Amino acid sequence: MKDSSSLESRTSHNTKQLALWTGLWLASLALVAFGPTFLWDYHKVITIVLIWVNLFMGYKMIMANKQHLEGLDELQQRIHLEAMALSLGCSMVFGAIYGLLEGVRLIDIAPNPSNILFVMGVTYGIGMLLAHRKYS
Amino acid sequence: MKNRLKVLRAERDWTQADLAQRLDVSRQTIVAIEKGKYDPSLTLAFKTARLFGQAIEAIFIDETDV
Repeated sequence: MKDSSSLESRTSHNTKQLALWTGLWLASLALVAFGPTFLWDYHKVITIVLIWVNLFMGYKMIMANKQHLEGLDELQQRIHLEAMALSLGCSMVFGAIYGLLEGVRLIDIAPNPSNILFVMGVTYGIGMLLAHRKYS
Repeated sequence: MKNRLKVLRAERDWTQADLAQRLDVSRQTIVAIEKGKYDPSLTLAFKTARLFGQAIEAIFIDETDV
């Protein structure tokens, strides 16, 4: 895809693909989360099938993200790389200490792993902003 | 690393968007290279040299001391 089309059309196509698979992954995740309670009364077979569907959508989303990154130009790839480095590092550092907070009795609630996703998203966004400012 | 991209582009009356399109990169990349904030890869440097019909070292000037 990278060699046969212009950067603009390539990025547009890859962004649409990424949005499509991300949307489908999110929808299937919502089905796995709420379906057993509201739609099929914890029927195990349906839940297991939906989990496999969700994993497949996740795989397609990962591949679409990879294709999207490969389609960008070298500076854009570097900007994403810097944002990913910040996101991964912060998630690891904060995730590790966050997991210990309950054990050392600083908080009473059990740490929720999904909070790390929030940290990842926010730090990725901040990383993108910082990198864009650095190169503009 | 310094470069003569802006001069070469101006000689041909190309905008940054024109050059970006010819090199298949974003305008942001051209801006960053012209301002010296980003050094292009060897592949992009060769592509730029081919586009302007000049040697790489006539466009990109390495200032580091070896």
